[in-house]
Amino acid sequence: MNKIICAIICVAMLVSLTACSSGGGSGASDAHVFYYSYSDTYISNVRSALGRAFSANNIKYHDYDSNSNQTTQTEQVQTAITQGTKVLVVNIVNTGSDDAAQGIISQAKGASLPIIFFNREVSDEAVNSYDKCVFIGTDAKEAGHMQGEMIGEYLIENYDAVDLNGDGKISYIMFKGEEGNNEAIYRTQYAVEDANAILTQNGKPELMFYDASNPNKYLVDKNGQWSAAAANEYMTTALTSYNEANNNMIELVICNNDGMAEGAITALNSAGYNTGDEKSIPVFGVDATDAARELIKNKKMTGTILQDAEGMAEAIAMVTSNAIEGIDLLSGTDDFQKDSASAKLRIPYSKYLGEDL
Amino acid sequence: MDNKFNVKAPFSKYAGMSKKDKVKATSEFLINNSLYIFMIAAIVIIQIINPMFLSVPSIINIISLSAANLPIALGIAGCIILTGTDLSAGRIVGVVACVSASLLQSDGYANKMFPSLATMPVFAVLAIALLIGGIVGLINGFCTAKFHLHPFIVTLSTQLIVYGILLMYLMSGNNNGQSISGLDSSYTSLITGSILSIGATAIPNFVWYSIAITAIMWFVWNKTKFGKNMFAVGSNPDAANVSGVNVTLTIIAVFALAGVMYGVTGFIEAARIGSNSAATGLNYELDAIAACVIGGVSFVGGIGKIRGVIIGVVLLRIIFVGLTFLGIDANMQYVIKGLIILVACAIDMRKYLIKK
Repeated sequence: MNKIICAIICVAMLVSLTACSSGGGSGASDAHVFYYSYSDTYISNVRSALGRAFSANNIKYHDYDSNSNQTTQTEQVQTAITQGTKVLVVNIVNTGSDDAAQGIISQAKGASLPIIFFNREVSDEAVNSYDKCVFIGTDAKEAGHMQGEMIGEYLIENYDAVDLNGDGKISYIMFKGEEGNNEAIYRTQYAVEDANAILTQNGKPELMFYDASNPNKYLVDKNGQWSAAAANEYMTTALTSYNEANNNMIELVICNNDGMAEGAITALNSAGYNTGDEKSIPVFGVDATDAARELIKNKKMTGTILQDAEGMAEAIAMVTSNAIEGIDLLSGTDDFQKDSASAKLRIPYSKYLGEDL
Repeated sequence: MDNKFNVKAPFSKYAGMSKKDKVKATSEFLINNSLYIFMIAAIVIIQIINPMFLSVPSIINIISLSAANLPIALGIAGCIILTGTDLSAGRIVGVVACVSASLLQSDGYANKMFPSLATMPVFAVLAIALLIGGIVGLINGFCTAKFHLHPFIVTLSTQLIVYGILLMYLMSGNNNGQSISGLDSSYTSLITGSILSIGATAIPNFVWYSIAITAIMWFVWNKTKFGKNMFAVGSNPDAANVSGVNVTLTIIAVFALAGVMYGVTGFIEAARIGSNSAATGLNYELDAIAACVIGGVSFVGGIGKIRGVIIGVVLLRIIFVGLTFLGIDANMQYVIKGLIILVACAIDMRKYLIKK
């Protein structure tokens, strides 16, 4: 009995192995792409867009899931180099310091392979340390600035409607995706700072964090997953003591990403808010995921910031194809916004308030 | 256990003790019940600092957060009673949540995962959810019992396999790795709707389901032959075998039942959060295991009570809500949680050693 089962398991394993290897295309791949985590929704968008862009350019590629672990990623890069690749495309895991990026760059240098970093930012020094290194991404600060501007403009137009208790101040709650991530830090900081700048310009008081006893002025997903569940549980808990019955209702919800916005909206729904009719608290996110766009169209959410996955994929595919052909990495990329300090291409963000794309 | 150490000893016995014994008995009492004392002290302190803590909405919030986490803890408790564990629990919750959500997206939702699929009847999807959980649980139990592998290894493997399948599932259909939302109202009203409110605060329906499941589990553990067999196998599989208990079957059934409990958790979780992604369910098993050991379900095997699991789950939620109310740094939550688990297990082991 046991032998038969063991045999079946072995066969199943072999079948799945062969099935997988044929899925990625036969023979050696030219481009090896390392994603920081398959579980990230925005990165999944980039992954499928990039897959399409590579296929359109006849580039053979292989995808890796680094599963939010820098050690895993560094080892994957090492293996890919020994396996023989023409270009490395890396979505670095650790953005807090330069060490991880430098480690990977020196590996690439050793094999004199071109390397393209994308999405998660590496420093100018790291990019400048190797002539075959390019970074393609957004300007991390821009999303926060843009979100803050969007919030400020929205509040100026709707100030009295948003100020539910009529105390002249807007109380807000802020959900941060993870600690120690630059994008999360910038978004958390600039969304409020820029909104405040617009408010004070127009003679209104600054935003007020709903809970005066919280010195951080944000609530963070402890697992660092930017997750809907974390935002949902915080929001449900906060609403038990901050509500209209107590005349201290949270009047504005700011989230680092759309997943957290969705979680907060589910919590608001349970309390009878944001179901699409009049009674609604403005909720702002970042990413413009499909779900968030749908929520905005149905008036359950207010606005988000669009990260252009297609544009990102297009730029990566172009630079990758340059790398494989052995010409200047940045040739033909004049349409993209470029940094002056280092070889960095910037894909612009844009505001999304419900218009068709 | 010696009578003078028994916390339930009548007061007359206590009064008759010598002074030295009295001190000893009191300190024993304090140590053995330190968790409850801590819990009460924590509630009092939080309440003093933030008087909203024990308001009706807040208490209902704590109850509903606990209710959402109770089924998974009840499932995993069975595995711990068998001196095992289950690392796959969180990922099973995740895959069940995503499958349930994808089958119950409302018609006409723009980003439907399977646009051609009409919204299925809720109870059919519930059956699918329980089935998925049950099957993975069955595999866990089968490999543990038949191949004599430690459940740590088996469930580590299934955790990885289930996660891989979940990632593939999220890329399938029209979904493209996006989070799954836009759930049909038949589903959300069943789970998060409310048939009873206290004051202005609605009690979500899943609280009742969770209570019903707890009652069923209490019955299974305490009143059925299967429950008695589970405790027998947990405390000594060889002895159980000699006394005619089918050890293999019991292990398989305990893991399968646990899987069904994760299915329930996932089904509730999907509607409760409303947005489901690969991160759904991550590390839930660790919270559930922590709740069990805090509540006195022992890794020694064969020891544990439903009551304990409930207390463990509620205590963890009180910490979460309390620290949020106090505006304390999230980092401290880890420290406090860790200390509580350590102290709880030390006390638990101490009781066990005295018994021995």
